[in-house]
Amino acid sequence: MLALKPDLILDVGSVNPTYISLADRVQQQTGIPYALLDGRFEGIPGSYRTLGALIGRREQGESLARNAEDTMKTITQRVGSIPPDRRPRVYYARGPRGLETGLGGSINVETIELVAQNVAGGTRGGLANVSIEQVLLWNPDVIITIDQDFAANVSSDPAWAPVAAVRAHRVHLSPKLPFGWVDFPPTVNRLIGLWWLAKILYPDLFPDDLRALTHEFYARFYHVTLSDAQIERVLAGRD
Amino acid sequence: MTRHFLPGFIIALGLLALGLLVAFTVGRYPVTLAELVEVLVSRLAGRATAVPPAVENVVLLVRGPRVVAAALVGAALAVAGTAFQGLFRNPLVSPDILGASSGAALGAVLGIYFSLGVIGIEGLAFVGGLVAVAAVYVIGSLLHSRDPILVLVLTGVVVGALLGAGVGLVKYLADPYNQLPAMTFWLLGSLAATTVSDLLPLTGPVALGTIVLIALRWRLNVMSLPEDEARALGLATGPFRIAIVAAATLVTSASVATSGIIGWVGLVVPHLARALVGPDFPRLIPTAALLGGGYLLFIDTLARTAAPVEIPLGILTAVIGTPFFIWLLAGMQRTWS
Amino acid sequence: MSLTGRDLTIGYSDRVVGRGLNVALERGEVLALLGPNGGGKTTLLKTLLGILAPRAGEVAVGGRLLAGISIRERARLIAYVPQLHVPTFAFTVETVVLMGRTAHGDLFSRPSTRDRTVAARVLDQFGIAHLAPRPYTMISGGERQLVLLARALAQEPQFVVLDEPTANLDFGNQGKVMREIRALAGAGHGILFTTHDPNHALRAADRAYLLRAGERIAEGSVGAVLTRERLEDLYGAPVEKLTDAATGHAAFLPG
Repeated sequence: MLALKPDLILDVGSVNPTYISLADRVQQQTGIPYALLDGRFEGIPGSYRTLGALIGRREQGESLARNAEDTMKTITQRVGSIPPDRRPRVYYARGPRGLETGLGGSINVETIELVAQNVAGGTRGGLANVSIEQVLLWNPDVIITIDQDFAANVSSDPAWAPVAAVRAHRVHLSPKLPFGWVDFPPTVNRLIGLWWLAKILYPDLFPDDLRALTHEFYARFYHVTLSDAQIERVLAGRD
Repeated sequence: MTRHFLPGFIIALGLLALGLLVAFTVGRYPVTLAELVEVLVSRLAGRATAVPPAVENVVLLVRGPRVVAAALVGAALAVAGTAFQGLFRNPLVSPDILGASSGAALGAVLGIYFSLGVIGIEGLAFVGGLVAVAAVYVIGSLLHSRDPILVLVLTGVVVGALLGAGVGLVKYLADPYNQLPAMTFWLLGSLAATTVSDLLPLTGPVALGTIVLIALRWRLNVMSLPEDEARALGLATGPFRIAIVAAATLVTSASVATSGIIGWVGLVVPHLARALVGPDFPRLIPTAALLGGGYLLFIDTLARTAAPVEIPLGILTAVIGTPFFIWLLAGMQRTWS
Repeated sequence: MSLTGRDLTIGYSDRVVGRGLNVALERGEVLALLGPNGGGKTTLLKTLLGILAPRAGEVAVGGRLLAGISIRERARLIAYVPQLHVPTFAFTVETVVLMGRTAHGDLFSRPSTRDRTVAARVLDQFGIAHLAPRPYTMISGGERQLVLLARALAQEPQFVVLDEPTANLDFGNQGKVMREIRALAGAGHGILFTTHDPNHALRAADRAYLLRAGERIAEGSVGAVLTRERLEDLYGAPVEKLTDAATGHAAFLPG
């Protein structure tokens, strides 16, 4: 890292004392400024503001932070009309068998928990493994996954057949180019991911054009102009 | 004095039956005993069931395969452990001693690293276990020694350490968001994802290996004697050793490929069996098979019902097995030394 | 029928222990193998048993080369009684003796009625039938030696080879085992045993073979071979000979 001679080390993720002390250590050892930013979803606007200030692009940072705040506010307001216990019950399926999930408050399911009920939310924690039996017991209305093999096979798997989400064909493969829209990793991509989630869960409340939103997000946050074909490819959720 | 065979055997059989009963009726998804009986009876009779399809689904497709797998893996590990304790003339030996688990672990984490499907991961794990032991055996045979058993054990330790380093390397290189949690969970052992299609690749090798070990049980007593004595009594120790190692490795690799690494079963259950029926191997092997199945059934039931999330089997077997083992050592020392 | 070693070079893959050795053991006689530690007694014993291959020369039993006989058949001709050692598993005495029938059954079979009959007979022969259900680890040293002897007899062999059968035994049991050895020879078996004690050779053996540093330094009837001078030469230490005036029996003491 020293050989690269960076002006700034940027770390986005957990900000608990372990990582803070690690950041201090590296900063002392290398003499390079180390910025540790909160990776949680609500922390995104603040992180952009801080980053803007650090690299001397305050205006741009402010604009991105504002955009993030607007997105969050718009979506949560519209969803706010639905009381929490009436919201769709969602199961987040990780891994090739779909049996790894995020517990309540886990960073992997933050956006899901913002707009819906996480069936695994009853226990707080991080990632956990469950059995098919437990999923059958939870009987989620919607399944969100990033694993394309799981998404392809679950409808033909007799063990999963009784699950409400499978019966109603509400198993959704999250886009993941260049990064996951819900998780993998859980970062700023979740902003456009939140639109995607909202449209899946409340199609009536969110008539917005997802393709236009995608185009704008990638242009603003990645400085990339996507063609229509590229947008389709991203939304398909496959590699 | 001599323990009579039948009482101990019946106890082992009873424990297995109880384990099956508990495993089928207890679980997060509520299934009553009546519903269980109804599903099984109607299946056997070939008629439609009266219970809701979700319950039938749970019994036949979810819990059923898992229960069968737990019983098979438990029996396999127990029999392999018993045979190895005889082969290596040491009651503190487990089925991993020649590196089958380490080889399977490396195969599995490589499968996860290369994003192979479930079949690929399990296949690599199975092959990994077999190749590791084959390598240990070949290397051990090339090193001429008066004590072939000692050489095997030492080679197993060395190769196991090397494979463990390989596992560490793959974990280090793995994607921390996606692959690493999957590897960690696999290495801790679980039957959570067992489906009907997992049963065939498990049953075949386990049945074959267990049958071989049961068939050879009459000579295991002799095999547990020092090499010179065993040969002088007329046993061809070289080929016999290969047969035992091959059979035990087959069942261990198949088990580890299905369930991940579950330790302490192959070490503790033979001692439990010895406490029930004595150290005579012809009695010990069948008893260990039954006891191992029941033991793992109880533990797996605990693993999936104690909390909404799965508790890895390897953790439970260690937490339960260690104090159990100490208690056994304290009370039962007479039976083996 | 005899068990013979002709022009044997004995040893292990990394070293030679003895060269040019010729040994012959007939049925009905007792041969004692004496010599200092490290002199090759155990190596020679294992070579004659067939559990260690000779580096040169041949071992033959009844005129047939041992190398051409399967391990199973060898066990039906020659039996081994090893030195007492701590066993790993506490098998019962009956189970231990039944192991002697290994060479008479096939790989997958349980002990037959014949096996059990033979086992019961040999246990009786040594007066230890009452010990049958006891764990082998919970009987005295002398009793364990007899159990190993019974196991060897259960093989129904022509020859019995014993490695230090009186080591680790109390004084009384030493005499008992020596008497059993004489009785076995009387019954027609050929017996070879190694010992550190020339007195045991004197009492129980017909012939003695003195082995030092891999070389035979004397061989012949115990009366002729076991002299004070020979023993001093063998062990490289002073030896005293005492003779009982009344009976004329002799005994040797370390000087």
